[in-house]
Amino acid sequence: MLEIKNLQSAIEDKKILNGINLTVNPGEVHAIMGPNGAGKSTLSAVLAGRADYEVTGGEVLFNGKDLLEMSPEDRAREGVFLAFQYPVEIPGVSTTNFLKTAINEKRKYQGLEPLEATHFLKFMREKMELMEMDKSLTSRSLNEGFSGGEKKRNEVFQMAMLEPTLAIMDETDSGLDIDALRLVSNGVNKLRDGKRSFVVITHYQRILDYIVPDFVHVLYKGRIVKSGDASLAKELEAKGYDWIKEEVEATTI
Amino acid sequence: MSMLKNIQEDFKQYLSQANESDAFVQLRKQAFVEFEKLGFPTTKHEEWKYTNLKGITERDFLATCETHQSAKAVFNSSIYASMQAHKLVFVNGTLSNELSEVKDIEAGVLIGTLAKNRTSHEAIFKNHFGKYAKVEGEAMNALNTALLSDGAMIYVPTDHLVSKPILILNIADATQQNVLAQPRNLIVVEANASATIVEVYLSTGANASFTNCVNEVYVGANAHLEHYKIQQQVGESYQNNYTQLFQEGNTTINHVTLTLEGTMVRNNLHFYMNGEQCNSVLYGLYITDHKQHVDNHTRVDHAKPNCFSDEKYKGVLKDQSTAVFNGKILVHLDAQKTNAYQRNQNILLSDEATVNTKPQLEIFADDVKCTHGATIGQLDEEPLFYLRSRGIPEREAKKILLNAFADDIAEKIKIPELVALLEQQIDAKL
Ligand SMILES: Nc1ncnc2c1ncn2[C@@H]1O[C@H](COP(=O)(O)OP(=O)(O)OP(=O)(O)O)[C@@H](O)[C@H]1O
Ligand SMILES: [Mg+2]
Repeated sequence: MLEIKNLQSAIEDKKILNGINLTVNPGEVHAIMGPNGAGKSTLSAVLAGRADYEVTGGEVLFNGKDLLEMSPEDRAREGVFLAFQYPVEIPGVSTTNFLKTAINEKRKYQGLEPLEATHFLKFMREKMELMEMDKSLTSRSLNEGFSGGEKKRNEVFQMAMLEPTLAIMDETDSGLDIDALRLVSNGVNKLRDGKRSFVVITHYQRILDYIVPDFVHVLYKGRIVKSGDASLAKELEAKGYDWIKEEVEATTI
Repeated sequence: MSMLKNIQEDFKQYLSQANESDAFVQLRKQAFVEFEKLGFPTTKHEEWKYTNLKGITERDFLATCETHQSAKAVFNSSIYASMQAHKLVFVNGTLSNELSEVKDIEAGVLIGTLAKNRTSHEAIFKNHFGKYAKVEGEAMNALNTALLSDGAMIYVPTDHLVSKPILILNIADATQQNVLAQPRNLIVVEANASATIVEVYLSTGANASFTNCVNEVYVGANAHLEHYKIQQQVGESYQNNYTQLFQEGNTTINHVTLTLEGTMVRNNLHFYMNGEQCNSVLYGLYITDHKQHVDNHTRVDHAKPNCFSDEKYKGVLKDQSTAVFNGKILVHLDAQKTNAYQRNQNILLSDEATVNTKPQLEIFADDVKCTHGATIGQLDEEPLFYLRSRGIPEREAKKILLNAFADDIAEKIKIPELVALLEQQIDAKL
């Protein structure tokens, strides 16, 4: 589904991604861990199509199509979804109208008729129940004045509404209380249908107890320096990153 | 020829038929003397630094009451044709009986023209006409006073509530030649009364039009006024619009100016608070493209204590368009506990668009709260990317963000058709 080959990226001439290779097959869950500043958010931003990051090399195929050639909106309508590490507040834009527009734009792209208002509202209610979203949140402006945890929940709620085929979750677990973490994880697990894939970026093993990954990767200095199964996350939780950093330094000398 | 020569001839013509013993004629004569003394404003005047009339006044613009089918067509295809309202429609400054519609008004309420009612409602006219929009030092007001064509005369007596909006719609019809129209409106809302006034400016024809308009508005104690100014003149159209509101104590005025079209638009919106506990809202939105030029000069006179003014002007500028905002707040010596709030925010959609913004606070009282601020920037990249990352195309995403930007202005508009017009205009200009 997603093939990242030797992806390199820079911002303002500063190299941040130094050749990422990663293949995600349908239905798989990949966790990406790594120290602060390693390039995890940069990778997700490049995949979502953020213009400030210049791609300096490599390629990304999504279902066989050149992802890097597409506009951000086309990537989304092809089925990519990014849950942002820091969702932006947009005053004056109602969450409900925003979601209706987003869903209908996707349907238009797929050659479908717009959802009828009543259908949309019913669908939204279902997903709100799934995420135990308070009604007052969707009637407010998008993320405006939301708490950190509410913003993260809103990201997963949007994901549930937009039903992507590939969801990239950038530290969605950070800032969630214990109950919200369970809720968000349950929400994600309900979306796992054997075809939909997830890339879960996290600093903590805890979320991976709920969303069990097929693979765990360590990103360091813009490269994936180690990959393993779920047990790698446990090892990192116990030992930190120093041993990996040492391994990397040893091999590059 | 030039506009000045046209005007001088018009005035000579007017005097030759006028009754010199009429006080109104005397008033107009004095105004003309003042206009000739001052001449058209030039960019040497501080208040006209960024708005240049020179190119326009050197050309011929003729006052005419000619109208054509196209004026009717413009009206009929506008949102105003079907709006539930009392309608006074003027074409080149003269009332169109065919397009106007005023019915079922309560006894005592006047919704008519100055020409017809100036003498029949003499006391009102004498008490209010020329009392608020000053002529001294104001060339364009002097010109309007000397050579005004016609305009609305609205009177809402004490304790009366006019529930339907009153539409004062001016159409500049430049089908045949360059036209000069000088509408003059007098609006008097007495104590405890309430009214909604919608001023609209439309245009038609391939030639140029110049509309020089003066509005005088009196709002009596405890009264409430909703006042909207909607500027939609297309083609080569120039407009100078001077509005002076005079409010007594305990009044609330909600004013919104929407400048949506026009080659050059200059607005002067002045509030004078003549009593305590006044509450005034002055909101404005301008959406410009191509080489449009929009200049908003506002002035709020806090003459008495304990009043509140809330001013917010927002602009969206595209292409090589330019905008000027000059907001003056004057807090007089005994206007203690004044609370005045002013903001001007601009979004530039192109590198070639320009905004000149200048807040001017002159405060003579010591116990006051005044805040002001101005911003000029581009549409934020982050929210734009967020929306696009959810599958919303760039143009649609921009539209959503611009509507959000205009949202607090739209919130002050209580006529749904006008809110819809605003949204439609944002869409059209993108
Ligand atoms: N807009 C930018 N301008 C300059 N440097 C940037 C910019 N964005 C990212 N960087 C730099 O790129 C590097 C990678 O940042 P990135 O946000 O991808 O890290 P991360 O792995 O997500 O870290 P964290 O775990 O703290 O979220 C950092 O050194 C960061 O400072
Ligand atoms: Mg990050």
